[in-house]
Amino acid sequence: MTTLKVNGQTHTLDVAPNRTLADVLRNELGLIGVRVSCSEGECGSCTVLVDGEPVTSCMMLVDQGEQHELQTIEGLGTSDDLHPIQQAFVEQQGFQCAFCTPGFVMSAKAFLAENPNPTREETAFAMSGNICRCGAYPYIVDAVMNAAEKLRARDGADRRAAD
Amino acid sequence: MGYEDRNFSVVGKGVHVKDASEKVTGALKYAVDLKVQNMAYGKILRCPHPHARITRIDTSKAEALAGVYGVLTHLDTPGLDWEAAWFNYRGKVLDGIGRFVGDDMAAVAAVSEEIAEQAVRLIEVEYEVLPHVFDMEEARKMDAPQIRDEGNERDPYIVEWGDVAEGEKDAEVTVDCDIFYESQQYAPLGRNAAIAEWMGDKVTLWTSSQTPSELRDGVHEALGIPLSKIRVMALPCGSSFGQWWSNNFMIITVLLAKKARRAVKIELTNEECMATVKRRHLERTRGRMGCTKDGQITLAQFDHLIDNGGYGFKDDVGFFCVDMWGRARHGHYAVHGINTNLLTAGCMRGVGDCTLGASVERVADQLAEKVGMDPVDFRIKNQIKPGEELRMQHSKHNMKGNIKEYIDGIREDLKEDWPELFHLSSGSTEDILTMGADAFGWKERWKGWGKPHTVDGPLRRAVGVGTGAHVCGVEFEGSTSAVVRINPDGSLKVHCSVGRQGQGSETTQSQVAAEAMGVSLDMVEIETGDTDSCPWSHGSLASNTMYRVGWATRAATMDARRQLLEIAARELFDGADPAELDITDGVVHPKGQPDSNRRFPITQVLHEIRSDTLGQTSSITGRPSVPMPPATTFARQFAAQFVEVEVDIETGQIKLLDFLAAQDSGTVVNPQVLKNQVIGGAICGAGFAIYEHLVFDEETGAIKNANLLDYKLLRAADFPHQAKVMFSESYDPVGPFGARGAGESPIAASIAAVAQAVYNATGVWVDLPMTPERVVRALGGV
Repeated sequence: MTTLKVNGQTHTLDVAPNRTLADVLRNELGLIGVRVSCSEGECGSCTVLVDGEPVTSCMMLVDQGEQHELQTIEGLGTSDDLHPIQQAFVEQQGFQCAFCTPGFVMSAKAFLAENPNPTREETAFAMSGNICRCGAYPYIVDAVMNAAEKLRARDGADRRAAD
Repeated sequence: MGYEDRNFSVVGKGVHVKDASEKVTGALKYAVDLKVQNMAYGKILRCPHPHARITRIDTSKAEALAGVYGVLTHLDTPGLDWEAAWFNYRGKVLDGIGRFVGDDMAAVAAVSEEIAEQAVRLIEVEYEVLPHVFDMEEARKMDAPQIRDEGNERDPYIVEWGDVAEGEKDAEVTVDCDIFYESQQYAPLGRNAAIAEWMGDKVTLWTSSQTPSELRDGVHEALGIPLSKIRVMALPCGSSFGQWWSNNFMIITVLLAKKARRAVKIELTNEECMATVKRRHLERTRGRMGCTKDGQITLAQFDHLIDNGGYGFKDDVGFFCVDMWGRARHGHYAVHGINTNLLTAGCMRGVGDCTLGASVERVADQLAEKVGMDPVDFRIKNQIKPGEELRMQHSKHNMKGNIKEYIDGIREDLKEDWPELFHLSSGSTEDILTMGADAFGWKERWKGWGKPHTVDGPLRRAVGVGTGAHVCGVEFEGSTSAVVRINPDGSLKVHCSVGRQGQGSETTQSQVAAEAMGVSLDMVEIETGDTDSCPWSHGSLASNTMYRVGWATRAATMDARRQLLEIAARELFDGADPAELDITDGVVHPKGQPDSNRRFPITQVLHEIRSDTLGQTSSITGRPSVPMPPATTFARQFAAQFVEVEVDIETGQIKLLDFLAAQDSGTVVNPQVLKNQVIGGAICGAGFAIYEHLVFDEETGAIKNANLLDYKLLRAADFPHQAKVMFSESYDPVGPFGARGAGESPIAASIAAVAQAVYNATGVWVDLPMTPERVVRALGGV
């Protein structure tokens, strides 16, 4: 049996150990926001956070996900209450077909946690582990910059509330 | 016919796309995400040879495997040809002959993908290996192996005007070219799947497709069953660019589901998406252009080959560049479509314009250099202006479906409001070249032909400009329609089968409907994928969506609005003239008096008909009632793009430093959507210019880099994140609210701009894709 903690919920699953984490998240837990395209860690569509670090889940076996906090796009906002990064992607239209979008949003979340006040160059570089075939890159950079601003404002407000 | 008022309330607004929150939360369902009850999984047996015929096939071991529900071979399939839109595929579903490595030969349905895969390996096949041909010049020869019953090559598609001998005589300067283009792969992000389920003699097919109506037609042709028994439910596509129209694996799924007597899903792997479906054609241009010393083009003569692979059937790519450079006094363009034993080639975004068009741009640049003209000025001098004649009318055989018959078949009185056919209705490159050059600082940054503006050790920096044009939809193989319903609560439901390939057409079509009716955007919902509720329409292809489907959506909405206002006039405005009424924000009022006391919400008008017990309807349904004039005969879209590159002449590496895209697509319906289309196209074009190409195995023709590791795509840091987009303010007399098409001209302009910039940086023209190796070689390095 494999125990996974995903988006704060614990699941115990009877799955073959040769299955990838991406496959199990999609097909056993129904988390279809984990998109699978290349299956070789190149495109970044299947990016999830493992203890806050961005990982291409198509390159992980399911058991490697045990003992970690996993987060998928489904663990961020909902359509009624978008996470600031998701809100920024909507506002800047940082997508077209959006197959890659959950992966970009998760990569952005990890990046902004590490670098809350990035330059555009740093952002473009950080977003280069993911592929957007529709070519929304300038608007993805806009979205991440805008998200950084939103998160700084939110965190600033939190700090002020705590004071 | 034009709707001259530019005072829009919904059109022109950069509203967020309707499915934005589904997209950013990961909730959007593509075909791969769909499951139906008791569904089996299918896998396809693929041909290991470039050309071979099955002489014996034994499926007994596969059928005996526990968990297998059925095996489909060519012995089960109808002998009917089916044809995808625009000859992107033409053949039988399975006919026992493999025409490229990876071709579909048989399929298995089983309880799981693993068992289906295992069963595929248990099918025993004996092949008679047939002679093959990969090279299109070889395939044209009389004694070449024949790939299709129709022969490897059909009549060339020719457009000619004037007399090229005269053009030659008048030319004071000439340039020749012989350029070969590698094949670009759609390289979709995301995969596709098809699910088919039969209920009695009716079948439903769920798949990601840009062309729901045409896919239904394909199933009909392939299986010989009535259209009424086929329902296509097109789901959103991952990046498509022409790949996911109607594809053979979708029809295999339909037949396999019948054989297995249950719903079947076939999901393609990433490798199957890249090596078994379609790709851009391999192409070769030989040509000659001439001009006078003052830069007037007198001669444009091009002979262009396109390789269709096994099942492509095209011969008419790329005439939109012919029209764009239509001021050439004498012209002759011939395109030859040729089959080979390589993966099927089909229309990819900017088909022809990215190759033949790029060749014309390059030769024109070389002429401009010879006469010492600036590339911006040379383009303005020689490219078409509004009202001028389009050269496509001088084709030796007409476009598919015969345009003359189409036009002749329409009643004269319905043509009264049409613009002059075969003349450009609106727009040009002139405005966008001028505004783009200004904003980019072209005059300051361009230092002359083959001259970098900065030299820094091995680094050479220079700017380049390129232009692209394309049609705004194509009319044959059925006209385009839409239906708009006004619901009892005053909301609108639009039905138009354009599919959802991600560019935001469900939003822009809804904006058109909201504007035409006079309601807010949140009152409009849209269905784009269900062929049972949507009337026949071309899908999202040939930059058709805004111009032609948008025209149909507007026409259908205007028809519904007319009915609504007639009822309102009769029932609520004492028999007033309906033409004297208007609708603002869902409220009917006397024209010009939105605040009048006599104002009634649409719901009240609907209430009048619902409470009329003798009435026969409780809702209103609108549809286009007149034919749309043929867009190919007057409408074009234009792109002009400016780029700065840095070339390392030691390593051959090209970096893109700055980018500006100016676009003429008529009225901008949604600037957010359009700028994404423009930049997305520019990035795809830049990728083709510097990296992207498929590598074919010399022995087998198999694709060696059918994965995203070996097939290189541009990433965020590879393209200027400060890229600017500008729009012209032209207004089309036919397009909905003045809008035209958009998606394909940007990719062509980008290729030309990057190629010219690299020339300006290095002084050499490099064949595409300009990989580091090719750049170094062109510069005389090893």
